Amino acid sequence: MREPGRLGTGIGWRPEIAEAVENMAGIDWVEAVAENVCPGHLPESLLRLRERGITVVPHGVSLGLGGADRPDEARLTALAERAEALGSPLVTEHIAFVRAGGPLTASPLLEAGHLLPVPRTRDALHVLCENVRAAQAALPVPLAVENIAALISWPGEEMTEGQFLYDLVDRTGVRLLIDVANLHTNHVNRGEDPAKALDELPVEAIAYVHVAGGFERDGVWHDSHAHPVARPVLDILADLASRVTPPGVLLERDENFPDRPNWSGS
Amino acid sequence: MGCRAASPAAGEAGAETEPTRSPDTSPTAPAITTTASRTPGDAEAAPDGPGSRAGTDDARRQRVALAQAALLSALVAGTPAPEGFDRVRLGVQARALAAKRADVVAKVAPELPEILADTYRPAFLAYAQRRPMTGGYRRDALDFAEHLLLTGLPEDADTRRLRDWWLERSGPAPLSGRPAARLARATRRVLLRR
Repeated sequence: MREPGRLGTGIGWRPEIAEAVENMAGIDWVEAVAENVCPGHLPESLLRLRERGITVVPHGVSLGLGGADRPDEARLTALAERAEALGSPLVTEHIAFVRAGGPLTASPLLEAGHLLPVPRTRDALHVLCENVRAAQAALPVPLAVENIAALISWPGEEMTEGQFLYDLVDRTGVRLLIDVANLHTNHVNRGEDPAKALDELPVEAIAYVHVAGGFERDGVWHDSHAHPVARPVLDILADLASRVTPPGVLLERDENFPDRPNWSGS
Repeated sequence: MGCRAASPAAGEAGAETEPTRSPDTSPTAPAITTTASRTPGDAEAAPDGPGSRAGTDDARRQRVALAQAALLSALVAGTPAPEGFDRVRLGVQARALAAKRADVVAKVAPELPEILADTYRPAFLAYAQRRPMTGGYRRDALDFAEHLLLTGLPEDADTRRLRDWWLERSGPAPLSGRPAARLARATRRVLLRR
């Protein structure tokens, strides 16, 4: 029996793989992209999972908390509605910006269509903290935010990833969704040290951990949800687990499913 | 942003170049603070005036806004790379964003790659280079189709089918199936063909 507040072992749910997810043994919870779920008419698959007592966590991708604008009220309301409809114990989003421009800059609003890295400066941290607080105020359950992988680096950064996350949690009480594959991607692509990040970030604020597969090709790491979780990523997971027992671990897998999550190789 | 709106996949773009260090420049302006020490809860209040909390917050937001807009504009609108960024990496990221956009549009509007076949991808990427995304993907799909109809499709492409697809979706309301409405649409199509 799981303790209250513990999520357990989870897998990412998507409509295309709904059947596989429902048939998988040993799953305590699932995560679903918030924007793809309609609170008014939840997918049958999620309703069935809920009936079985499986927790569903909505995972937003379009809020852009790391952007310069205050979070959009309509988007916050939408996220809150999904949490309520699903009876979720928490909601997750990303430390990223997804759009820029608009009235603040007297330039056209541009959508990135992707999660882009926030500059690790005091300015950007301040704005992020304000945005996180606004989101927390609008949501009925706790919020956790995920570290993203990035290909590009901002010049003139003032903090490391770990320091940035530490300060963010310190100032807002937000929880963290730590993606160990993203830590590895940033290690390969940007030379950042996952162990140092784990040293510096507040591990007790971790709500759950994302684990995904990937592969290295020509010195570059490619995130992939179709490959087994690679040794280096598992090592980071092990490092993390040696510091804290995360309340939940979520496997992101879109293809090539195991019958049951197997942390040692699948 | 309705329930059926597609959202960008949460995955990260794959990189195709060797990792390189970015040059060590510091274009960001120093933060304005009005108190000597930083206390938990981020208190930086002073009464009204340029150093007031509201002024400080807005100034910070604007600085962040300008920096992010400059970067995103370079990635999706072809403006010059901001100082201090690795240009090769920006190019890789820009191409990855365009490719992802093409993928998502193909998913929300599967008729488009069906109608355009092999020409879908190059046509979309050419369009994307000139038209950054400003709203959702459904809007993007419509704008792309409109752009093609205006600039002309390849020789053997099914222009009529694309035009019908666009007409059916570009009006303010879903189309009525009633005979009078269908007749009106057919008439409109005939007239537009001239």
